[in-house]
Amino acid sequence: MAVLETKEVFYSYAKENNILSDVNALFETGRMYAILGPSGSGKTTLLSLLGGLDSPTKGEILFNGENIAGRGLEYHRRHHVSLIFQSYNLIDYMTPVENVNLTAQQDALPVLKRLGLSAEEAKRNVLKLSGGQQQRVAIARTLASGAPFILADEPTGNLDEDTAAEITGILKESAYELDKCVIVVTHSSELAKQADIVLKLKRGKLLSVR
Amino acid sequence: MDFIKRAFLYVTKKRGKSALLFIILLVIATFVLTGLSIEKATRVTQDNLRYALGGEFEMAPDYSESNPYYKMETDEEGNFTIDTKMPVTQEIIDKVMETAGVESYDGMSQCLVSTNLDVIPGTVPVKDKYRDRVYGRFVTGTENSSFFRGGIMKLIEGSHVPADGGHVAVISKALAEKNGLRIGDSITLTVDGGDKTEIKIIGLFEVLKQEQAYTNVNSFDKLENQIFSGLQAYQELMSDSAAGYQNVVFGVDDPAQLDEIVAGLKQNDTIDWRAFKVETNNKTYQAAAAPLEKFQTLITTVLILIVAVSAVVLSLILTMWAKSRIHETGVLLSIGFRKGAVIGQYLAEVLMIAVFAFGLSFFSSNLIAGQIGNSLLQAQVQSGEEQTAPQEDNGLQIKMKDEAKQDNVVINDNGDGGESIQKNASVEPLNVAIGLDNMARLYLIGFAIIILSVGISSASVMRLKPREILSKMS
Repeated sequence: MAVLETKEVFYSYAKENNILSDVNALFETGRMYAILGPSGSGKTTLLSLLGGLDSPTKGEILFNGENIAGRGLEYHRRHHVSLIFQSYNLIDYMTPVENVNLTAQQDALPVLKRLGLSAEEAKRNVLKLSGGQQQRVAIARTLASGAPFILADEPTGNLDEDTAAEITGILKESAYELDKCVIVVTHSSELAKQADIVLKLKRGKLLSVR
Repeated sequence: MDFIKRAFLYVTKKRGKSALLFIILLVIATFVLTGLSIEKATRVTQDNLRYALGGEFEMAPDYSESNPYYKMETDEEGNFTIDTKMPVTQEIIDKVMETAGVESYDGMSQCLVSTNLDVIPGTVPVKDKYRDRVYGRFVTGTENSSFFRGGIMKLIEGSHVPADGGHVAVISKALAEKNGLRIGDSITLTVDGGDKTEIKIIGLFEVLKQEQAYTNVNSFDKLENQIFSGLQAYQELMSDSAAGYQNVVFGVDDPAQLDEIVAGLKQNDTIDWRAFKVETNNKTYQAAAAPLEKFQTLITTVLILIVAVSAVVLSLILTMWAKSRIHETGVLLSIGFRKGAVIGQYLAEVLMIAVFAFGLSFFSSNLIAGQIGNSLLQAQVQSGEEQTAPQEDNGLQIKMKDEAKQDNVVINDNGDGGESIQKNASVEPLNVAIGLDNMARLYLIGFAIIILSVGISSASVMRLKPREILSKMS
């Protein structure tokens, strides 16, 4: 079981109030977490710190007890975490297969098929896919990377209700069947309901709700 | 997926951008390759010119009080003669010839001699006493003599006066015919003191050019009346003087090294330098090389400008493209690619296109390099002619070879009864060839420009943290 942990994490821009203040949290594989909070509460900042996209002003992010800064944030992003964004963030001149192959530790096509893309769709330019299909490609990229932590920032924000439910199901399934830790930042209470643990950020402080 | 594969995907799938970059790189490469090829052709032409024109220095007795061997005598009528006990002997010539870079010599003594010949009349009347007199020229072989080497005269029958001289003569065919002489006949030369020598005709020459300076000449200066012989004959005529030459012109292989060669020669302490003066002459080379040197400086400057402008233009274009690819950069960084790997991909993309663009520039440069090079050089030569026009009465003219006249030798009266031979230098048209070495230099310079440009263009994005890039994306 892998563990990602924040320890007394602070984050602030110069001379401004803390965006995050003394955040302590522990995330384990095999579970799905939801982080809720109003706009500007620091949700995306926390996800960025967990994903190694930025460094805390103070405190540590630990992966299995080891500070992620030790081996470098690039290493952490490459091997420990995989990110999903609201706007999918696919490479626009590549096909789904090529996008998944950017980080894939396994054959891309079966992963894409498992997520509902046909072989023909998997070889089409990603811009010729629907929003839901593009998000499935983004999820396939995270799953194929082999990273134990999936960090998702509003993954259903651009999707219709039915597609959002499907994507939520895939994420949940990943947590349980593939022993991943899925951490979702969301405004969606529907999505939060699916999570095992819900955390709430309020003025930079992290509160455990469930 | 490694950066090469990502770069290949980008180049093949973003065809519009790739084609645009290909055209930009082709234009840059054509300019750089053209500049490189012209620069190299100019250098080769300069080298060819150096060795073709050569340089020379003249060694002659120093007829001044500072020469301890100098003597001046005045006769009862007030006429004076100057002489030296140490002329340039064959032994001294041999010592000079041991100097590195000295490759030939042309020694000569000359004096007015009386002959038993009916000479060809000049256009200026002379006193009766000079009516049968001609210039006797006693040389270190006629083949090496500037008169024959310079194309003023040409041996048409028999053989040259050999380098070691002897009692032999080469005279003009016109003089021989006028006096019914043939090869094998002998003529007698006499000087005022009464000394005489008999020399046997071994060759006949014809005068190829009647020089302007000689259109009004007296009989003894006329080229057809010149008699060439060896030092031994001169020695018999000048029995009171030391045996040697009045002047020796030494040819050097590289005119650019002339001063160094003479400086090295003067280190030779087996020659008593108090007795001689040495004058260098590489004016022909310098005059011919000057437009080429200026041209090379111009081309080098233009080349540097092309490289600098290319780097700036390419950097600006790539910077614009890097900013338009900030989304891709952010995605690649967020999924764990190193900044170096992302820059490596962008660099590989440009290099992949550049390989083909640079290769095609071989043909585009071939089409224009020769024309541009020679047009620029011609403009440079013409500009040089205009600037040096007031000095052209020195007889030195620089022209492109295809417009140079046939008579490329001028004889000037130097005002002291002698003359100097001045060559007209012609600048060869550039033979601009796009060689493999220039292609290699193009790839080297081109890749350096690309690496610099990609580095500059990526810096603005790559200095940001991945999160900052992602927030710019959103």
